Amino acid sequence: MVRYILRRLLLLGPLLFGITLVSWAAIQLVPGSGNYFQALVLQYPQISPQTIAALKAQFGMDQPPWIQYFRWLWSILHLDFGLSFAYNVPVTWLIGSRALNTLLLSLTSLVVAWSVALPLGIYSAVHQYSAMDGVLNTAAFVAISIPSFFSALLLLYAAYWTHLLPLQGLTSVDFDTYPWWGQVLDIARHLVLPTIALGLFSVGGLMRYMRNNLLEVLRSDYVKTARAKGLAERRVIYRHAVRNAINPLITFFGFELGGLLSGAAFVENIMGYPGLGRLILEALLKKDVFVVMASLLLGSVMLILGNLTADIMLAYVDPRIRYD
Amino acid sequence: MPGGPTVRFAVISTLLAATLLMPPAEGASAPSHHPALPGLPNPKVMTGDAGRFGGEFLDSQVSDPRTFNPILAQETSSTGPLGTLFDGLVEDNGETTQTEPALAESWKTSPDGKTWTFVLRQGLQWDDGQPLTADDVVFTFGVIFDKNIPNSLADVLSVAGKPVQASKVDARTVAFHTAEPFGPFLRTIGVSILPRHKLEASYKAGKFRQTWGVNTPPSELVGSGPYIMTEYRPAERVRYVRNPHYWKVDAQGHRLPYIDRVVLRIVPSQEALRLLFQGKQTDSYGLRPKEYAAFKRDEKTGNYTVFDGGPTFGTEFLVFNQNSRSGLPDYKLKWFANQKFRQAVSYATDRQAIINQVYAGHAVVQYGPESPADKFFFNPHVMQYPYDLTKAAQVLAEGGFKKGSDGMLRDADGHPVEFVISTNSDNQDRVAIANIMRQDLSQLGMRVTLVPEAFNTLVNKLVESFKWETMVLGLTGGIEPHNGQNVWRSDGSLHMWNPKEAKPATPWEAQIDRYFNLGATTVDQNRRREYYYQYQAIVAEQVPVVYTAIPNAYVAVRNKFGNIHFTAFGGPFWNFPVIFFKP
Repeated sequence: MVRYILRRLLLLGPLLFGITLVSWAAIQLVPGSGNYFQALVLQYPQISPQTIAALKAQFGMDQPPWIQYFRWLWSILHLDFGLSFAYNVPVTWLIGSRALNTLLLSLTSLVVAWSVALPLGIYSAVHQYSAMDGVLNTAAFVAISIPSFFSALLLLYAAYWTHLLPLQGLTSVDFDTYPWWGQVLDIARHLVLPTIALGLFSVGGLMRYMRNNLLEVLRSDYVKTARAKGLAERRVIYRHAVRNAINPLITFFGFELGGLLSGAAFVENIMGYPGLGRLILEALLKKDVFVVMASLLLGSVMLILGNLTADIMLAYVDPRIRYD
Repeated sequence: MPGGPTVRFAVISTLLAATLLMPPAEGASAPSHHPALPGLPNPKVMTGDAGRFGGEFLDSQVSDPRTFNPILAQETSSTGPLGTLFDGLVEDNGETTQTEPALAESWKTSPDGKTWTFVLRQGLQWDDGQPLTADDVVFTFGVIFDKNIPNSLADVLSVAGKPVQASKVDARTVAFHTAEPFGPFLRTIGVSILPRHKLEASYKAGKFRQTWGVNTPPSELVGSGPYIMTEYRPAERVRYVRNPHYWKVDAQGHRLPYIDRVVLRIVPSQEALRLLFQGKQTDSYGLRPKEYAAFKRDEKTGNYTVFDGGPTFGTEFLVFNQNSRSGLPDYKLKWFANQKFRQAVSYATDRQAIINQVYAGHAVVQYGPESPADKFFFNPHVMQYPYDLTKAAQVLAEGGFKKGSDGMLRDADGHPVEFVISTNSDNQDRVAIANIMRQDLSQLGMRVTLVPEAFNTLVNKLVESFKWETMVLGLTGGIEPHNGQNVWRSDGSLHMWNPKEAKPATPWEAQIDRYFNLGATTVDQNRRREYYYQYQAIVAEQVPVVYTAIPNAYVAVRNKFGNIHFTAFGGPFWNFPVIFFKP
């Protein structure tokens, strides 16, 4: 197992190299797509071409694209991710200042989504074709059909009319004057809407997934055997069926771990949540290349690690799976 | 602002833009007994109703500041939040648009117009209590013109390509020397002055560009403005408290500003700004013209007033590519270089339809390059092109174009008139304008295709590949026409229809170059106005750019504030130090 993990981690290097090379090419080599410095003249008509050239040179962007790439590669090997063009501060600071917020939101919605979806999925599989199953499935299909930006908008308007919850951000204006428990409460209040938008609306798919897996398992021979043996129904379901039905979901969970830092962009943008998504979207539109590259790298690492975690968990949950 | 290239430059243009040479005197209505403060014998007196102290003002803006370094700040998202931290030697009055004393209490010009001497107020202090002196001013200009610190202020302040030389005369006096007499000097010299005692060390170490980035703790920032930054939470908010060392007083001699604290919330979009205002979580909202009716209707229930500032400085226009380096076929270049063709397009532009459909009626027609918001330089008597398709067809015929029996317009050599209008897809207004123009042009027999594109793609075409035919675009101006020289001079990099010409391609472009040179090197403002009148007349006659409409500026402000004097030039809060919470 340890050898397997080491081998996977060793593969990380070449994989990341390939990812960065391709994304660099996608950003910098597309003809006619423009760059950050060109747009300055429209933002600030008085700027001279000399000043633009000097700014460009400052970031090494006057070099041919492949030299830019290898310089960037060389510096990230020294853990220097460069400066943002727009902010002129280290990319690591920019990402660091927002990453924890996104992580917090992603984790709360992950926990909410899974802790709601799994029991509901199990319930509706066990009570297949009951009235409650019908209600749950209908609700699930509605939730699946509503895209997260739209659900965020709906929630925002609900909050606007009811005045119950804050409309934007993660903290109140007077946050700093609150005692520690007030601060925790304040953050919790601000988290409710984005968590629902991001988490609750993904319950639908997850629940359907759990339901189908479990139904399939419940129809298999060993479940019949267990029942025939006279095992209690509870024991049949929770001890045997659910444990097997959950395997495919663990792979899915790995993907979700990979999206912890990048999966919230839409909701962040609508709810004014101070997360990474807003930063990255802006950087992408403005072609703030080092910020985009660093976030791509971060996203890739997260995805790879998420999958690795899922594989390890799978081996742990299912003794039939062996990697050595 | 969402939607692209017309990046709005509220604060910078306030500093740079404008009109009259002010006599070196103190503020407009100085009472006979001039108020004084201990240690500050000649503070600036701001006019307005006597207000109350206290309160917290809730403001909001789209997107984060990019830097806290005022020399490197370019976009409104940075210049806005920094505007209350730093001051210049002079400032523009938001209502009269005149340049007034600020950190400097007076100035004089030498007879040859090349040397300007400014005297600072006595007893000025930075917000950390250190004295603000001529050394700070000289340091600031040294930084701006440092070759290792590329910044656009250096471009604005260069006269005939040479830097403005600043030298200290004594602790309160600074002399500026320009290579040529410089007409817009007063309008450009009001840049934010930096505290030498805080920044010299990092400057000498060659680290100025990384100094006062947004990763700096706000307590490190030292300024002279009405407020001190106390907190910055990325993507959430900036907080300020009043500066106890500020150098302005009200008419009764009380030290300003009135309002204690300011919170600037950072949100992702214009929609979020609107939502926060309507949810009563912010105190003002700059509304778009088409939102006017809805906001006017809810004035009472929302407890706010919608102020009308008249036309803004924003323009939206169609420009024709006349650039022989563009790779366009010669016959197309010939159309676009044909004055009659361009005039016909202008006649065929239904500006009233644009005003009604895009701006819900809240805009004014535009024919020349300057906005009527510019009370001093705007020339109202330029050639006009009222909507008239018959007239347009007639002008096209004069230009050698003929409409065939198939309804297709053809040039003298028989080429059918077909072209593309490009615009940036993220700007709904522009797409709508281009569509209205396209419909009328097809009535003239032109086959016009509208291509909305990504903003970056459009910019690349405009400034690098030149591969475009016509474009609907917008730019934001100010009141100083000289600041448009990058657009209007034939060697300008934003001379959109034919950038960076080695020498003027046409006689009328040579004329405009001449008037811009004269306008830059003449100090007498009335003569400058004559030159810029001429340039506006030429542009309107030649129509390299078909202007459409200028939207009006509106802002909604809660009724609880006193001394609001909204103008399109100064915005709602140009006199923020005297704005107060009404009892």
